Amino acid sequence: MSEYNKPLPPPSVESEPFWDGCKRHELLVPRCDRCGYHWFPPAATCPKCWSTDWTWTRVSGKGRVYSFGVYHRAYHKGFAEELPYALVVVELDEGPRLTTNVVGCDPGELSCDMPVEVVFDDVTEDRTLYKFKPANDG
Amino acid sequence: MSTNLSGKYAIVGVGQSPLGKVPEMGPIGLFAVAAKNAIEDAGLRKEDVDGLITRGPDDVYCHHQKVGEALGLNVTYSTSTANGGASQTMAVAMACMAIEAGVCDTVVVGYGRDTWSRTHRNAEAKQAVASRPRTYSEFGSEFGQFGAPVNYAVAARRHMERFGTTKAQLGAIAVAFRNHARKNPHAFMQKPLTLDEYLSARLIVDPLCLYDCSVFIDGAGAVVVTSAERARDLRQPPAYVLGFGFGNRLSGWYAGDNMITTGAKEAGEAAYKMAGIGPKDVDTAQIYDCFTHMVLLQLEDYGFCAKGEGGPFVGSGALEADGVLPTNTSGGQLSEGHIEGMLQVLEGARQVRREHTPERQVKDCDIALVSGHGGNTVCQSALILGREAG
Repeated sequence: MSEYNKPLPPPSVESEPFWDGCKRHELLVPRCDRCGYHWFPPAATCPKCWSTDWTWTRVSGKGRVYSFGVYHRAYHKGFAEELPYALVVVELDEGPRLTTNVVGCDPGELSCDMPVEVVFDDVTEDRTLYKFKPANDG
Repeated sequence: MSTNLSGKYAIVGVGQSPLGKVPEMGPIGLFAVAAKNAIEDAGLRKEDVDGLITRGPDDVYCHHQKVGEALGLNVTYSTSTANGGASQTMAVAMACMAIEAGVCDTVVVGYGRDTWSRTHRNAEAKQAVASRPRTYSEFGSEFGQFGAPVNYAVAARRHMERFGTTKAQLGAIAVAFRNHARKNPHAFMQKPLTLDEYLSARLIVDPLCLYDCSVFIDGAGAVVVTSAERARDLRQPPAYVLGFGFGNRLSGWYAGDNMITTGAKEAGEAAYKMAGIGPKDVDTAQIYDCFTHMVLLQLEDYGFCAKGEGGPFVGSGALEADGVLPTNTSGGQLSEGHIEGMLQVLEGARQVRREHTPERQVKDCDIALVSGHGGNTVCQSALILGREAG
């Protein structure tokens, strides 16, 4: 197996629990204990009510494609062989939007609002990425 | 109680450096030449300048200080801005506010960068770009998110699926600005561009192709801002600042509907209110055009057409010289060259001064709207310039 050659920025102090969740194949996002709002990326206060009381919460992993752009030019050699590939914005059923890739689907088959569900890709021994695939149930 | 500044201040001088490939000059030198030309255009002297608001390469610490040193200036008020492409229109407004507050009288505002030369000046520059350390961002780089075009590609895709906007309509923007550029001898892109050429161009991040992206050049632009009272005694007809406004949707491009309706809506509403006008009163628009789709969004948000109708609006030829809203009449960043919106401030002032040759001059031009956009896509500033003070 060839060495993984795509960038893997190191987790920050605020994102480490998220990536640990990915390793366990669990998608976690911060949920406010006070107002119930879910947000992403992680931050120390609820962006809606500014509460500092919140909990990493496992979400359904279901959502819809909000939009996407299809790269035809490689900005990084690790992605050269993937061209054309899509950078996809997924809106989770709980609200937050994540930038990600959709697997098991050619870029030409993507459309806004198509239902997707999370899958986990163990790209190295230490790191697991969250990706999405077309959802079967719609 | 608020004070209405409409018509109290004016752009009284405009200047630019050589534009295009200028490898013999650095970013501070380019800025200094533009500033000198703007001050001379106004008929002012170095000693008259007591304010300086600048922006240049983001890696220059206290940029205004470097510019001031190059110009040998001592001033009372100076700062660099950090609001991306929204900085330059905002800086004109900041100059008006500073003068109103009584801290200075005459302010130079500008932007300069050696964007082409940074990566092409010599073998060393080319090597540096090939081996430069990349900065990666979490929740993006892992999935192949690099560069600015994707943010606008994602926004364009959503707009297309929701409102039926087409590639050909985005192409109409690129073609219109190229047509304008071909009348501007300083514009970088002089080759004709047809819609067919646009539609067959190589894709960068689909739906955006090569001609949807602005062109990186070396260059600088500067303007001089002072009171309307003082402006009347100066060399050039004043371009009165009739209105300005800001809208910064800092919650993020990917949050809410921020990539459908931008901060230009708030910026425009505030600027129109201050100027006491509406979009129908605008004779020419100079819209920040890092990418074609951003023009379309702003035209909607500034009220030149309804939300979702930007495609048919630009497709009708509205932005051409004989259209209902001649836009980016110097070629814009898509064809004149990308100087972070500063050249569009100059063009707005030149149009209301009515100084162009007849083929470039917007007929009976009284009012120009100039927009700035940037700061990781969510910041907007608007400026309304007028031939008369009100």
